[in-house]
Formats: sequence, C-alpha cells, structure tokens
Amino acid sequence: MSQASFPNTETLRGEFVNLRPLAVDDAELTLGWRNANRARFLNAGAASVEQQAKWIAGRPASEYNYIIELTDGQPIGMLSLTGIDRANRHGEPGRFLIGDEAAAQGVPAAVEAMKLLYELAFDKLELVRVCGIIAANNTLMIKWQKYLGMKEEGRLRNHLSQNGQFEDAVFLGLLVEEYRKTSLPRMNFLIAAARAK
Amino acid sequence: MLNQAAVQEIILQALNNINDERGPDEQLTVGLDTRLFGADAVLDSLSLVSVIVDVEAAVSDAAGRDISLTDDRAMSQSVSPFTDVNALTAYILLLLSEPA
Repeated sequence: MSQASFPNTETLRGEFVNLRPLAVDDAELTLGWRNANRARFLNAGAASVEQQAKWIAGRPASEYNYIIELTDGQPIGMLSLTGIDRANRHGEPGRFLIGDEAAAQGVPAAVEAMKLLYELAFDKLELVRVCGIIAANNTLMIKWQKYLGMKEEGRLRNHLSQNGQFEDAVFLGLLVEEYRKTSLPRMNFLIAAARAK
Repeated sequence: MLNQAAVQEIILQALNNINDERGPDEQLTVGLDTRLFGADAVLDSLSLVSVIVDVEAAVSDAAGRDISLTDDRAMSQSVSPFTDVNALTAYILLLLSEPA
C-alpha cells in the first residue's frame, strides 16, 4: 500500500489554470453549470442550490474535488479524483466539466486541468492506474481521452440513464507508464500549442 | 496526392464534426480563416484534439500514408500549424510533399 499523501485542501497550480478545492460557496455556480446542456453526460445532480451546497459539504475527505480556475481566478469548470484505493493504488478521474466554454476558447484549460489531476494521481499519490466510465454517446470526450492515452477496457451495456433512455458506458483506463509515455508528451504539446503565435 | 482544396475540405469537415456534437446555440463559425487554437481562437482543447484526430485519420486514408500533427516539428514552425485552417493546410501539404 502506498503511504503517499497530499492534502485535498491545497490548490494545484498550472500555467493557464489552477485547480482549487471545491467549496460550499461554489454551490450556485456549479449547479448552473450542471444544469446546462453541455453537462448532459454527467449524472443527474442536485435540484436546488441548497441541495448542491449540501452535496458539496458532504464530500468525503478521501475525495479530491476541484474548481478549474483560470490563473486570474475566473472559475470555468470542475474536475475530481475519487474512488481512491490506496491498497491497489488506483483512482477515478471524473465530474469533469468545462462550464464556461467561452472562457476556455484558445486556452488549454481542459488539458492542463487533466494534467494537474494526473500529476496528483501518479506523482503525488503514487497511483499506478486511473480508470472510469464515459457515456458511449459522449464521443468528443472519448476521442479526447483516448488521444491522451486512455485505453478502452470494456463496454457496460445500458449502464447509464439519460433523459429516460439507457445508454452504454465505455470503460477506459490509463496506467502510469502509459501516462508517462503517451499522455504527458501529448498534454505538453497541446499546452505548448496554446503558447505558439 | 492531396491538393490544397482537398486538405482544406478535410479540415473543414473535422470542424463540422465538432458542430455536430454541439447545440444550436453553440455552433462554431467554420471557414478558412477560422482561428483554431491560441489567442482569439474558437476551439478549446477538447475540440482541438477532435480536429487533430479526425484530420490525421482522413489525411492518412486519402493519402495512403500516416502523418503526425503533434510532434516537435509542428511546434518548431515559425507559424503554428494550429493558428487557423490555412496554416494547418499549409503544414499538411508540407508534410505530404516530403518522402514518406
């Protein structure tokens, strides 16, 4: 079992975005994002600001839940690392949403946010694997995750209910060696592309 | 050999593929001068990856050879290939003009 640890109260800092811990004060903002059409692939969330605040307050200490902020402090999305199994050294990235797409245009916000989360998972917590599911009809996200190194490990039939219809989920996984060989260089390329003139 | 018009069409189709995933009020304006990534660009990094993956696949199918748009060479260009559709077209034609 890995003894590596990292406080989930600390902000993870990047060049274009930071991941700062989710707070109860983010309830109204995050509820607005979750109610938008672009969040249709996430699980159904709270119905009110009060419920969202209660949900945030109830996150277990084992989870890492973040707001994605531009470096000027503007919040644009959210991302989490949950389901951390210290004995088997794996975890699940999820609750990934760019809520303010306009603010993310031309900025490698999603890719740097995921890079910061992978650094947390693989470097700080010394996990050897991250994995999770994506709705099979979320084709853009599946394409993105596979480009960044994730491998498809299975398909869960009728696993998700979306607007009254059942949808398959694709199960994706990434090993630490794949992260270092594939994900990291590609993430660095995309971040560099945003710097280029 | 793919010509300029054919490469442009492949890139524009990749951009239209993104619009297929978006709602009516989230459509990208797609054209030859559409700025792809960086300052004043229309794509976020999720969409840029979609364009890269779709364009690499379509060019490889049409030209019968693989190309990579995301290597060190792409980043060493004086003008980033991801500035706009015209810059990406020019970079792909450069790659295709060289021996496989």
